[in-house]
Amino acid sequence: MKLPMTLGGLMVAAGLFATSAHADKLDDIISSGTLRCAVVLDFPPMGSRDESNNPVGFDVDYCNDLAAALGVDAEIVETPFPERIPALMSGRVDVGVASTSDTLERAKTVGFSVPYFAFENVVTSNEESGINSFDDMKGKTVGATAGTFEAIALQAQVEEWGEGEFRPYQSQADVFLALSQGQIDATVSTSTVAQANVKSGNFPGISVVGKAPFDIDYVALFTNREEYGFINYLNLFVSQQVRTGRYEELYAKWVGGELPDLSAAGVTR
Amino acid sequence: MFNYTFQWNQALARLPQMLDGALVTMQIAILSMAIGVLLAILLTGCRLSGIRVLQGFAVTWVEIARNTPALFQIYMAHFGVASFGIHFSPFTSLLIGITFNNAGYLAENFRGALKAISDTQSRAGRSLGMTPVQAFRYIVLPQMLRIAYLPMTNQMVWAILMTSLGVTVGMNSDLYGVTQDLNALTFRTFELFAIAAVIFYVITKVIGLGARLLATRLFRY
Repeated sequence: MKLPMTLGGLMVAAGLFATSAHADKLDDIISSGTLRCAVVLDFPPMGSRDESNNPVGFDVDYCNDLAAALGVDAEIVETPFPERIPALMSGRVDVGVASTSDTLERAKTVGFSVPYFAFENVVTSNEESGINSFDDMKGKTVGATAGTFEAIALQAQVEEWGEGEFRPYQSQADVFLALSQGQIDATVSTSTVAQANVKSGNFPGISVVGKAPFDIDYVALFTNREEYGFINYLNLFVSQQVRTGRYEELYAKWVGGELPDLSAAGVTR
Repeated sequence: MFNYTFQWNQALARLPQMLDGALVTMQIAILSMAIGVLLAILLTGCRLSGIRVLQGFAVTWVEIARNTPALFQIYMAHFGVASFGIHFSPFTSLLIGITFNNAGYLAENFRGALKAISDTQSRAGRSLGMTPVQAFRYIVLPQMLRIAYLPMTNQMVWAILMTSLGVTVGMNSDLYGVTQDLNALTFRTFELFAIAAVIFYVITKVIGLGARLLATRLFRY
């Protein structure tokens, strides 16, 4: 009795194995002729919309480059920060080109490529708050964009200080509106975002006052955790973007200034 | 195509935080309902007062509360009033937004309930020497609240569900806000939101049942 059951089990297992040896995601993308990228379009200069409502930004160009490398069409799927993972898991997108920080906690759920971009975080304060540095934020009301690396880090910092208040807002625009209105005294955001918003003139009374002492925020492309073939391709693609000078070109186009190094010193990846 | 492995223990480890959030959610819902009922009675009083200005005020309130999204009302209670230099915390903004909405809907429920109470009753009260306010207070109001009781429990459920809109004004201590925070941290989207949905369901069910039990005690003829 035991033997036939074991045999049966083996046969079922073999059957499962046979059906799981299907074309992988990389094959699916190539044969479908379309690469669908999750991009956050509320996060200039990485992703936003121009006057005629077309998606533009560093991440948009990066997705287009990836599609071109694969020889397929690119489709930009707008996904707010909290919807990146549902979009991937429900099969609406193939890859996230969405300025996603590659934390270990998140890597338990999705598969990350090597970093394709790196952010430095700065403190922007309301000029009436009297905040002139990161440490001045202690005991004040601060905010950041929900779901971002800097929001998680800032919330942890406020909890460590044990005084003051942290407020996550749903979009970058809401954070700077709240900051300009004096609802929050300061925010931590990527330097690119801070400069763009201060310069835009939409938010009077705010200025960038200094760097935030957080680790460098490396962001990576992400896809399903088990798609090694595709992740391998993404890694090579990121490397090629740097080697061919395309990374530098896109950086100059959308951000400008000193090009961030994508590798941490003393370790690979 | 749904390619995802559920890891419930990762999300369940966060359950205590989510239950703390559920308490805040209930706190906001109950406060907004208590204040909302009082305001709705005032609005109903304004409508019945026969004074033009008060009637206009009540009608405007009800029209805005019922015909604009709750999201808009909460957003205005935070970012809108801030452009006039008034700053409310996310908690207060959310409470004001939901209370405003509750009062508007409840006032309309009360108006419907009033239609079910015959005019002759308050006239009978007046002929016994009651002032208009006394007639409203002792004869009409108790009946009105009884008739509008079930719609009120409905609104209570709405109030609970509306707390999830607090994230738009930076609220992160209520159930939905806590869930969003944890989602950003862990990316365990499906498990976390499934748990949040179950908690929301349980809260609203418990409140629905509680309201029914209370009704059998309150309204014995």
